[in-house]
Amino acid sequence: MADIRDILDIEQPASEITRESIIHGDKLKKKYVTAKAVKRPEGMHREVFALLYNDNKELPPLLPTDTGKAYKQTKARLGMRKVRKWMWAPFTNPARKDNAVFHHWKRASDEAKEYPFAQFNKQVSIPSYSESEYNQYLKSEDWSQAETDHLMDLCQRFDLRFIVIHDRWDRAAFRDRSVEDLKERYYHISATLGKLKTNPWSNAVTTVNGEKKTYHYDAEHERKRKEQLRRLFDRTQEQIDEEQMLLVELKKIEARKRERERKTQDLQKLISRADSGSVLNTNQTLNAEANTPTNSAANIARRHDRKLHKKKLSTQQRPIRAVEAVTVEWSGIKFPEARGTGVWLRSQRMKLPPGVGQRKTKAIEQELRLMGIDIAPTPTEAICKHFNELRSDLALALDLKNALVSCEFDLQALRHQYEALNPGKTLTIPASICNTSTDGENKPTGEIIDVVGSPGTPNTSI
Amino acid sequence: MSLQTDFGPDSGGRVKGLVIVKPIVYGNIARYFGKKREEDGHTHQWTVYLKPYANEDMSNYIKKVNFKLHESYTNPNRIVSKPPYELTETGWGEFEIVIKIYFHDPNERPVALYHILKLFQSPVSEGAPPVIGRALVSESYEEIVFQEPTQLMQHLLTTVKPITNGPWNHDTNFEEKKEKTLEKILSAQTKVRSEIAELKEKLQLAKETSAKFKEEIAKLQNSSNMLSVI
Repeated sequence: MADIRDILDIEQPASEITRESIIHGDKLKKKYVTAKAVKRPEGMHREVFALLYNDNKELPPLLPTDTGKAYKQTKARLGMRKVRKWMWAPFTNPARKDNAVFHHWKRASDEAKEYPFAQFNKQVSIPSYSESEYNQYLKSEDWSQAETDHLMDLCQRFDLRFIVIHDRWDRAAFRDRSVEDLKERYYHISATLGKLKTNPWSNAVTTVNGEKKTYHYDAEHERKRKEQLRRLFDRTQEQIDEEQMLLVELKKIEARKRERERKTQDLQKLISRADSGSVLNTNQTLNAEANTPTNSAANIARRHDRKLHKKKLSTQQRPIRAVEAVTVEWSGIKFPEARGTGVWLRSQRMKLPPGVGQRKTKAIEQELRLMGIDIAPTPTEAICKHFNELRSDLALALDLKNALVSCEFDLQALRHQYEALNPGKTLTIPASICNTSTDGENKPTGEIIDVVGSPGTPNTSI
Repeated sequence: MSLQTDFGPDSGGRVKGLVIVKPIVYGNIARYFGKKREEDGHTHQWTVYLKPYANEDMSNYIKKVNFKLHESYTNPNRIVSKPPYELTETGWGEFEIVIKIYFHDPNERPVALYHILKLFQSPVSEGAPPVIGRALVSESYEEIVFQEPTQLMQHLLTTVKPITNGPWNHDTNFEEKKEKTLEKILSAQTKVRSEIAELKEKLQLAKETSAKFKEEIAKLQNSSNMLSVI
């Protein structure tokens, strides 16, 4: 209706009597007034205008919407059908054996149906054995037959809920058993009997190719797992704090290590391929038996340490190999070659190429000042040439110095590693290498901590 | 344009392998008024200039020189098309002046020099207040290099006439400065080279030691692994 009025340019009648106008009253009228405020410009297509200014001022959707063919969602239609009846009725649960009668609400039409939740009561089939079978296959030094019978009985009664079984265990007649002990015995019996005969109660799963797979219960593993959890739970506040502290330390150490690695990456061109890269045995077999209960925070710390160490070994070797392949001869600063043709100023030749970083530029300028050389000398051809050579040499010298410091640091790290492996003994670093650190800043002792790995020490595994 | 065609249709035709170097001197002199001028607060009169190092007339190959002053000056782009290439102004502050040199042959791109206008004596050399009347000179040596100039340019560069019959001097003794600078650089070079050699030696030693250490550690680790297996 509104469209037709739009096309014919007829003004909206003051009040149109519709069902909506009766129900919503003045609210609807107001809405129309605002919509009318924007008038369609001359020459614009009605459809385009409708996209820009529709009644509710909403923008058209960007994605195709999928709301069905209808313009309007059909609403629930109430009061069209008769109400179905509910009734308070007694029922019995077939899953129960005591025939207890309960009541619930149900539809009158469902009268005849069985209690639907009964199907969820699954029964576990517990294996059974005869006297002779027991004597032949199931005899155990640890378990008497009476005790085994008691276990099987409880399993049957409590549907293999071992925690309950453990709780109900007849401690007067038999000695106390752990949940793991009970499970171990039960699954052993079940597996043994499963092999003997194909019974419906066997817990063997028949796979596609006809092979039988029995569930193997690893009691030892379970005991360890629970012990581990118990220890984790039993930590004191101090131990938790210590672990937290160690983790923070570890983060710091790793940050420092990354920083240092970044530096060595910059300098790896300088490390020659001469290093034979002795292959360190990283896959250490760890002694699982050494299970002396130390506090777990220390364990974790050591484990982190070991990981760190392994990582370090691998990263230490990587740059060396990379250099082996490439063999870069470092040569200070590479100044651009003479340009083709045209006019240029001699002093432009002395500009450091953009590849030289700000830090290096500063360092070179500092060196020049120390030697009393102008950082922008009179630009003659000879001076340009030698000045550039000098700066290139200075850059190289700086790099070499840095490399030496990092080498020295590596050596110290190796020495500490050695000392950790072989207490009481040490390696000596040649004195001529060490004196570089006297003019450089002194390394904080904290930096040395991060390399004191103890890879050879037997590690406790939980 | 007509000049260009005199040197063949290939106006960009360059003389292969030829390099012509024209040393120049640029900078400024400044004079202190003795007091702050009432009307505009200016304290100095200064002259920024570009002149040849040798006694020759640069207008033969330079078309114009553009001095770009601080924007607070009215009309900061000052063009000088005849020698002497200089500009006198008054002011109270130091700033960077861009001196752009245009050549007669439009095929040669202009070059730009950057000079920091200097009005005040550096405090190190002069603790006393500025001396009235005595000029302060701040100038630099530079070389314009014409790499494979066009034929027109070659012609213009090689037919320069002397600018004056008298002696052509500069405030700064650049010859001495050049000599001393080169000397210093060369001695520094030898020093740094020997340092490099020494560093390389040390690095080599460090690497060998590192390899040795690693070997020792590997040995220890192997033996400790054996132990832990047993």
